[in-house]
Amino acid sequence: MTRLIAKFVIVAALNLSALAQSTSELERRVIELEEKMRLIDPAFGKNASAQDLLKRLDQLEQKMTAVLAKTEPSPTTVAASPAPAPSGPPQTQGLVPVSVSGDYQGAPDGETRLPVAGYMDFHVNKDSGDPFRPDFHRFVLLFGHSFSDRIKFWSELELEHSLLEPSEGAGGEVALEQAYLDFLIKPYFNLRAGMVLSPVGIVNERHEPPSFNGVERPFVETTIIPTTWRELGVGVTGDLGRGFRYRGYLTSSLDASRFNAEGGISEGRSRGFEASMRNPAKVIRLEYAGVRRLTLGASMYTGHSGFNVPGVNPRVDLLEFDGRYSYRRVDFRGLFANTWVSRAGELNRRLQLETGVNPNVASQMRGYYFEPAYHLLPRRARNDVILFARYEKYDTQRQMPIGYRPLTQFNRSSWVTGVTFKPTADVAIKFDYNFNRNQSAIVRAVNSVNLGIGWWF
Amino acid sequence: MKYMKLLLPIGLVLLAQPKDERKPDRTVSILAERFTFNPSRINVKPGQLVEFVLESDDTDHGFKIPSAGIDVAIPPAGKGEVRVRFLARAKGTFEFECSRACGAGHHLMRGAIVVK
Repeated sequence: MTRLIAKFVIVAALNLSALAQSTSELERRVIELEEKMRLIDPAFGKNASAQDLLKRLDQLEQKMTAVLAKTEPSPTTVAASPAPAPSGPPQTQGLVPVSVSGDYQGAPDGETRLPVAGYMDFHVNKDSGDPFRPDFHRFVLLFGHSFSDRIKFWSELELEHSLLEPSEGAGGEVALEQAYLDFLIKPYFNLRAGMVLSPVGIVNERHEPPSFNGVERPFVETTIIPTTWRELGVGVTGDLGRGFRYRGYLTSSLDASRFNAEGGISEGRSRGFEASMRNPAKVIRLEYAGVRRLTLGASMYTGHSGFNVPGVNPRVDLLEFDGRYSYRRVDFRGLFANTWVSRAGELNRRLQLETGVNPNVASQMRGYYFEPAYHLLPRRARNDVILFARYEKYDTQRQMPIGYRPLTQFNRSSWVTGVTFKPTADVAIKFDYNFNRNQSAIVRAVNSVNLGIGWWF
Repeated sequence: MKYMKLLLPIGLVLLAQPKDERKPDRTVSILAERFTFNPSRINVKPGQLVEFVLESDDTDHGFKIPSAGIDVAIPPAGKGEVRVRFLARAKGTFEFECSRACGAGHHLMRGAIVVK
C-alpha cells in the first residue's frame, strides 16, 4: 500500500512538474539518478534507456527500497541534501555527511588545491638620526604533500632581505626553516622527524605577519628566544584532549661558539648544518587551549652546546611561559623567558683564547613582554584596525660568571606602540614607534620608527 | 469536490518540494585559528544528527574529516561561517584536520570526533 501511495505521489508530482519541464528534462534527471544508483550497484539499469520513464522510476524506487533496507534498519527522517564535498565514502562509514551550508567556498569536484602557501614581509625602518631603510625582509614559501592520510610532509623555505650575495659580505640568506615528515598515529600520539621549529614561545611557531602586531617580531622572542629557532630533530606531538596538547623533540644542539653578549644564545642556532646530535637537546612544550580564544603555553629546553668548543661543554636551559587571550575587542598576550648557560666563565675564556675577543656570555639571560591591543572595529567586521602597545624588557647580561662584568647596554627595554590595519584577514599594514632604553650611561639606545606590509596567501 | 480537484495538485506539488531539514540533535560551535580548533575533541552519541558551525579567527582554514569524505573551506575572519551536518552512525574516533595551508604550524591543526 505504501509503495502504491509513494508511486502515486511520485508520478503525480512528475506529471505536475511536467507542466513546467519538458519530458527531456525529466529523462535527464532520471538518467542522473540511475547513474548515482550505479555508484552503489554498477549492474543497476544497464538496459534502462530502452524502457519508458515510468518503468525506470519503478525500478529506481525498488532499488532504493532495497538499499535502505540493507543500510538503514530504522530510516531517519532527515532530509539528506547532498553534501557538496563528499568524496564518496560508502554509507557504511561511522560519520555520514548530510549537508554543508554557509559562506564556504565550495571547490568544484576534481579540483586539486596545491598545498603551496607563503608569506611576505616588506619593511621600512628608520632609527633616530638615520635615513629610512627599505627592506624586503622576508619572502617565504611553504610546501606540503600528503603521501597518505597518515604520512604528511611540510616545509618552509625563506629568502631574507631579497638578495643572496655572499661575496658582498652582506645581504640576505636562503634558509630552510622547516622540512619534516609527520607520521599520524593517534590524536594523542604522532611522530615527527626532520627540520623542526623548536616549540618555544608564541612567535617561533606562529610567525605569519598578520598574526602579530608590530612590524618586527618582539625583541624578547629574537634575543632571549632565538626566533626563528629551527633544529634537526625527531619527536612526538599530540592532543591529549580537554584543550591540552604537547610537542616534545630531541634536537641538534646549540653551538656555544657563537654565543655573545648582545644576542645571548640567538646566534647559536644550528640551522640544520654543521649540527651535532652527539648530545641531543630536549625540548618540550605543553599548551592549553581549552577555553575559546585563550592559549597558555609553557616550554622547556635543555641541552649541551659545546660540540664546537674544545674542552668546554656548557649546558643551556631555557624556561618559558606565554599566554594569549581575546575578549570582545581586547587582545592580550604576554611572555616570560629565562635562559641559563652553565660554565659561562670557562666558555668566555676559551673563546677569547681562540678569537682574541671576549664574548662576555652571561650565565643567565631574561626577558618578558606584555601587549594589550584593542580592535577599533567589531570582531566580525571585514576589516580590522588594531591599536597596540607592547612593553618589553630583555637583558642578555642578567647574571655574569665570576670575574665578568655585565655590559649594561644589553640590559634593554622598549615600548613598541602602533597600529595594524587589516583590509582582509591575510594582509596587514603596520606602523609602530619604538621607545628604546638601556641601562648604560655611555651607550645610548635610539628610538626607531617602522612601517611594514605583510601578507599571507 | 471541485475544491478537492483544485487542492489535490497543489498538495502534491508541495509534497514534491524538498522537506525542511531535521533540527540537529547537537550543534557545536568550533573556532579555527592558527593552529588550533577549539574545541579540538568533540564527543557525540551514536545516531545523533550533529551540526558543526565553523568560523575562523584569522585566515581561511579547511575542515576535513577524511573518513567521512568531508572537506570544506572555513572562510577567513569577518567573512562568515560554514555549517557542516553529519550523522554519527557508529561508535569510533574520527579525526579531523585543517586542509588549507594556514601557516608554519599547519600540521598541528587537528582534532577528533569521538562517537560513544
